[in-house]
Amino acid sequence: MAKTVRMVAEILLDRCTGCALCVYVCPTVALTLRNRADDDPVGPGTRRVAELDESTCYNAQNCLEVCPEEAIVMHELDEPFRIGVDPKVVDREAIGRICSSAGYHPKQPVCFCADVTAGEIAASCLLGAATPGDISVMTGARTGCTELCNQPVLRLLAAAGHSDPPQDPPRGFQVYGIAAQGFDLLDESGHVDAAVAAEFPLYPLDRDLQALRGNFEGA
Amino acid sequence: MRAAELPNVVAIRARDIDPGLPTPIWSSEPTWGPTDPEVVRSATRERLRGVEWSRITRGSTVNLLANPHGFALCGEAYVVMLEEIERDVVDRTGGRVRLRIAESMGHIENPDWMKIFDLAARFGDVAEVPQIGRGIEIDTRIGRFWLVRDLFSADHFIHTHVSEMREGYLHRMLDRLLKPFGMAYTRVETRSAYHFGYGPRTGQIVSRAVFESSFVQDRYTATIVLDTSPEGVIGVDADNDLDALNRRVSVNLLRNYGTLMRTLAEIDEVTVVFDGHGCFVYAYGAGVAFDNLLYGALDFLDLDNLALMAGLVSVLPTDRGLFLNLNPAIKCLVMNYMPGGVPFIGSIKNIPTILVDGPASKWLINDPCNPSLADYARHAPDLPGAMRDAEEIAGTDKVIIYDGVPGALNVSASLATHLLERAPAVAADVRDRLMPKWLQQRGLG
Repeated sequence: MAKTVRMVAEILLDRCTGCALCVYVCPTVALTLRNRADDDPVGPGTRRVAELDESTCYNAQNCLEVCPEEAIVMHELDEPFRIGVDPKVVDREAIGRICSSAGYHPKQPVCFCADVTAGEIAASCLLGAATPGDISVMTGARTGCTELCNQPVLRLLAAAGHSDPPQDPPRGFQVYGIAAQGFDLLDESGHVDAAVAAEFPLYPLDRDLQALRGNFEGA
Repeated sequence: MRAAELPNVVAIRARDIDPGLPTPIWSSEPTWGPTDPEVVRSATRERLRGVEWSRITRGSTVNLLANPHGFALCGEAYVVMLEEIERDVVDRTGGRVRLRIAESMGHIENPDWMKIFDLAARFGDVAEVPQIGRGIEIDTRIGRFWLVRDLFSADHFIHTHVSEMREGYLHRMLDRLLKPFGMAYTRVETRSAYHFGYGPRTGQIVSRAVFESSFVQDRYTATIVLDTSPEGVIGVDADNDLDALNRRVSVNLLRNYGTLMRTLAEIDEVTVVFDGHGCFVYAYGAGVAFDNLLYGALDFLDLDNLALMAGLVSVLPTDRGLFLNLNPAIKCLVMNYMPGGVPFIGSIKNIPTILVDGPASKWLINDPCNPSLADYARHAPDLPGAMRDAEEIAGTDKVIIYDGVPGALNVSASLATHLLERAPAVAADVRDRLMPKWLQQRGLG
């Protein structure tokens, strides 16, 4: 599928202090800092300002959310554009291997905002994506709620050989890492260790994890 | 035009569906109870007498953690509770209290609570802290997660909550009051793992593990909660022991929302109208979130039902109880007014949706969380036109409106008749069969 991008951000240079918070949260790494130019509007006295690459601004609005100066506004695009990856242009078996290794079915939706499947994330890896930012630029994933798809994106990247990608920019915090998941608690028998399960008596951990794997017997 | 002004729309009281609802001590509507928030202040003060603040020393920093839902649902009552907590801590300990509001996509999903309630003037040091803010890694018994650093960048913190029934299909009323430790207080990594990494009755294990982590326990002091019913606030409760508090509040929640939830499940066909400030699953009618109708075809409070989110798997067995599908009774959706900020395209792909033209529809179409809305929704120039189209599409004149009104549902006369006919039998079933089962399954019986 594809995301239709309908808005673009604008940095209000008379308000921007160059604090870089927007740079640190942009999922497509479309923001950087630059020195103030002589012909920029008069600002709050700081030397640096944010600069936007409009071609990779996908209307995520993370920048708007974190800006402490209300120095970012959104504008409707005259011509919305669509982004996305067609998994059919990539080897199907290779997509299957990445998805299987990460624990997702290729058709499973992982980004519910941009309507992106695990297979499309895997395809973008095979087409050269090596970081979460690359994934976002190619598929539009992570540019909506930013929440749901975070772990599938990181796990699919890891399955494609890009474990623990570096922060981009280096001090940014678009992503941190792969969090614990239930399948980590399975032992060699494929079940949750009884001692672990006993620590959480309220939760049917093993039955739920078996169901997630498609085994509904006893669920 | 507001949906409640449509011809043939009537209000039915939540109390007519569940006559056993307790009397509120505060409501945003005078019809249901006192509107003076000072009642809540007094109740908070009373409950705080039993709370121990000995961990807080003079001059130490204390983050008072709040959430947007508290402001949205309980408004001034929530603010007054927060004020009273701050006053109590300062008076009794000399600690320095800072208000921190845990947010998701706050600027899209929420009104500007800072301005509406003048929070900077009332609390001084106050900040909204989004889920995409700087994180901090913690270790738990089940592995590593990330919290939002600025919520916990203090010597201690106080957990606050509003005990309403939202996202029951996620937390399943297990460790209900712990949920913010797996969601609201965490970074996107943890939230994503909660949704994708565990089973449908097990996501809350993340909340439990995070709460029990040494990082959190080293800073935790107490929890204060506004206990609610569909009509408003029924009390203030507080405890240093979150588990004890959770047990008390969970029983109240099941008792005060269960009958209404299961009565909504009796709806056989309906058009849903959104006309208030809550995005899709977080739109409210009679104090009950829309998710309770959207997923209401299956009793997700019954833990015998796996209720796995159908969207998370590729192969769907048909056994009843295994999957949490969209409620087939919902035949059409009309969006007259609704904010964005929460993805809902996956749902409206399967339900005909009409967008009423106007500023709100423009806002929704540009929502980052629903960028393909324009591909799936049809337009109507005004609400009456949308309702005519909806009746034709849905094949029913039954309508329910989610407009944020507490204590009553605005519905079509036909749906009012249907619900009131079914309610007594549902109430009896909840009282005699479901409630004992729900309580027993959670060790609350």
